[in-house]
Amino acid sequence: MLAYIIRRVFQSVIVLLVVGLVAFSMFRFVGDPIDNMLGQERTQADIDRLRTELGLDKPFPVQYFKFLQGAVEGNFGVSYRQGRPVSTIIAERAPATLELAAVSGFLAITLGIALGVFTAIRRQGFAANAIMTVSLIGVSLPTFLIGILLIYIFSVELDLLPSFGRGETVKIGNWSTGFLTASGLKALILPAITLGLYQMTLIMRLVRSEMLEVLRADYVRFARARGLTDRVINFRHALKNTLVPVITVTGLQLGSIIAFAIITETVFQWPGVGLLFINAIQFVDIPVMAAYLMLISVMFVSINLIVDLLYYAIDPRLRIDGRTA
Amino acid sequence: MFLRSSAIGLVLLAATAAQAADFKWASTTDPQTLDPHAVNSAPVLGFLNNVYEGLVRRNQDMAVEPALAVSWEPIGDGEGWRFNLREGVTFHDGSDFTAEDVLFSYERASNEVADTNSWFAPVKEVKIVDDYTIDILTHGPNPIFPGSIANWMIMDSGWAEANAAALPDKDNGNYATLNANGTGAFRVTAREPGLRTVLEPFEGWWDDATHNITQAEFTPIQNPATAVAALLSGDVDMINPVPIQDAARLKESDEVEIIQGIEARVIMLGFPHEAEALKYGGDAGQPNPFKDVRVRQAVAHAINVPAILATIMRGNAEEASQLVSPAMSGYSAAHADRRAFDVDKAKALLDEAGYANGFSFGLKCPNDRYLNDEAVCQAVVSMLAQIGITAELDAMPVRNYWPELREDNYDMYLLGWSPGTFDAEHPIRFLVTTPNPDKKLGSWNFGGFSNARVDELLPLIQAELDAGKRQAMLDEVTQIIQDEQTYVPLYVQPLVWGTRNNVALTQRPDNFFILRWVNVN
Repeated sequence: MLAYIIRRVFQSVIVLLVVGLVAFSMFRFVGDPIDNMLGQERTQADIDRLRTELGLDKPFPVQYFKFLQGAVEGNFGVSYRQGRPVSTIIAERAPATLELAAVSGFLAITLGIALGVFTAIRRQGFAANAIMTVSLIGVSLPTFLIGILLIYIFSVELDLLPSFGRGETVKIGNWSTGFLTASGLKALILPAITLGLYQMTLIMRLVRSEMLEVLRADYVRFARARGLTDRVINFRHALKNTLVPVITVTGLQLGSIIAFAIITETVFQWPGVGLLFINAIQFVDIPVMAAYLMLISVMFVSINLIVDLLYYAIDPRLRIDGRTA
Repeated sequence: MFLRSSAIGLVLLAATAAQAADFKWASTTDPQTLDPHAVNSAPVLGFLNNVYEGLVRRNQDMAVEPALAVSWEPIGDGEGWRFNLREGVTFHDGSDFTAEDVLFSYERASNEVADTNSWFAPVKEVKIVDDYTIDILTHGPNPIFPGSIANWMIMDSGWAEANAAALPDKDNGNYATLNANGTGAFRVTAREPGLRTVLEPFEGWWDDATHNITQAEFTPIQNPATAVAALLSGDVDMINPVPIQDAARLKESDEVEIIQGIEARVIMLGFPHEAEALKYGGDAGQPNPFKDVRVRQAVAHAINVPAILATIMRGNAEEASQLVSPAMSGYSAAHADRRAFDVDKAKALLDEAGYANGFSFGLKCPNDRYLNDEAVCQAVVSMLAQIGITAELDAMPVRNYWPELREDNYDMYLLGWSPGTFDAEHPIRFLVTTPNPDKKLGSWNFGGFSNARVDELLPLIQAELDAGKRQAMLDEVTQIIQDEQTYVPLYVQPLVWGTRNNVALTQRPDNFFILRWVNVN
């Protein structure tokens, strides 16, 4: 077991290093931050001085190594644009993204499972067919279009919900939350739907197809023969057995909800890390871009690591492999 | 900490005058710092003009008027300028404004690490005469100096030193990056970089407030569609800019108004004047045809600017004949006509230059710097095709664009220039004189244009006190630029702002949004 964990952790570290290396080799093509940092009246001497100060005159492996040195000590450098430590900025922005991701994840899971069960049980019903058709929209329309449509309907036309931003927030320690004010909650609705819609339809379709499979299984037929109620059969026996693959997929989707919040955050001017990253690209704010990419890859790698370890716990075959290896 | 319960908000509203109002506005760029000397960029200086003040300021028509100085006069025979300072002015934290703060702000803003130091290149020394008189001595006569320091903002020396912000620190930031203490009409009450900035009127402001704002909140909104939606739904009262393709649609709405004007920025095409060979296109490696003035003139004749303005700019811009717009001082009225659109003449000029069969080259263009810049370049390509020259367009984000121009990787390029001093001398200094890093001349003259007469006239223009003689010299330079076709000026970029229909404000050609001219009805 221990050897297996150590091996997986070691592999994860290598993945992280490669991600960082690829990121740094690409920063050269993102553009030059110098012109954004100096005004119109800069001279060539100013440009050269700043380039040396920032270490941009060094080859990218050297820049990458310096970044790693700092990152190991928890120092991600100073943002070119804001002139403040990157770790502070990300800590400020993270609550917005995490709250949005949590709410959309919650919406996606609850609604996805509920609608999935419903459409599986009432396979032939009109409502189920309608839901299945509408869910195609969720899978096929791009996020930014859904966001703009929602803004147009609910903010511009109906004037019910705010068109952008997070509303009023309350600070609890270092965490700014939008859960405690009416405007904060209202501001969450549209972005959460936009972000969660795709995952919701995905979970719904997954639950539906698993349910349909399970409902055909022998033990369900036996349960029915025993005279159990539909309720008990559907929820105690069938749903429980569909959830194993659903949990696996949901776990992996959680990572992508956070990572793909970029588009939703841009459309709704949601002040999270995704928006920060987009701004960083426009300004060629290399320290922020590097820190964000590393954080996202750490997140994905850890989720994968946890999932692998769970498999290890669940699947006895892996344990045998681990012993022989 | 950031919670303002609606109950408190209501009490505040009820307590203030009937006319008073909260105001929210949005723009694409957040000012990257609150330090007025750290960054010399329009979003920063425009925003901070509401918080800090200079010795002089610009009024609604861009004319220079007294601010922290009540009057100024030249010293001797052009040795410098004496500024008589306003008495009884206090900073937002209550400390008094004196000549000490002016000297401190000079040292701070002209320091090597300050982005604003180029403004003070003509300054030799700053001397305090008494608490309310200060002499700024220049290397030579400098008639436009007072007008060139309208964005030089005065900071309290005591405040800056007490908070360890005696010098701007752009790389690591300091207290002045996030906090402000000016003398201006508004003080910053909350600042969350990239999220929002809240301003409230400064009760102790020396001038009479003409606005009715009780609180103003700025939010950067990057996505233009979101900004338009926010304006339409009333979540914000003003946005800048309005995407040009949305302007016509918004004009039809009853709830919002579109405010249009002409910016100070002139969009032009630039040429390689020094390069021996073309670098791109089918004729890469062939001798550079743009060294021939007739080819440059042919390009000017080939471009149908009115058509570009009618289609791409939807009638929102004005043609440009020279490097500055008519709103700038020193504009040459004698040269107000640009080369007419004339395909035959252009072809004749090409023929004369020996390019009757045309040639192929590369046009570099930004795609996120100026309004519809890439579309303009595409139009230029098709217009040049009509006279038989083939341009291969390479459009890229501006963050990749400037490095390419600095490396001379172009055969023709698009450039926009907004003169920081609002004077015709500015583009001559940066775009036309022979590049000279030591004297900080020609730093944006990518093509390396060089004309001895222009180089000779620039210092004379800078030093000339007599307005008539100065204009005569500016006219002469404009003539040279037009004859030599150093650049092909295309048009003056439009400014398009959107407001709710109950908002009255002033749009200045420098695209600065000045809160003290806002009234919410």
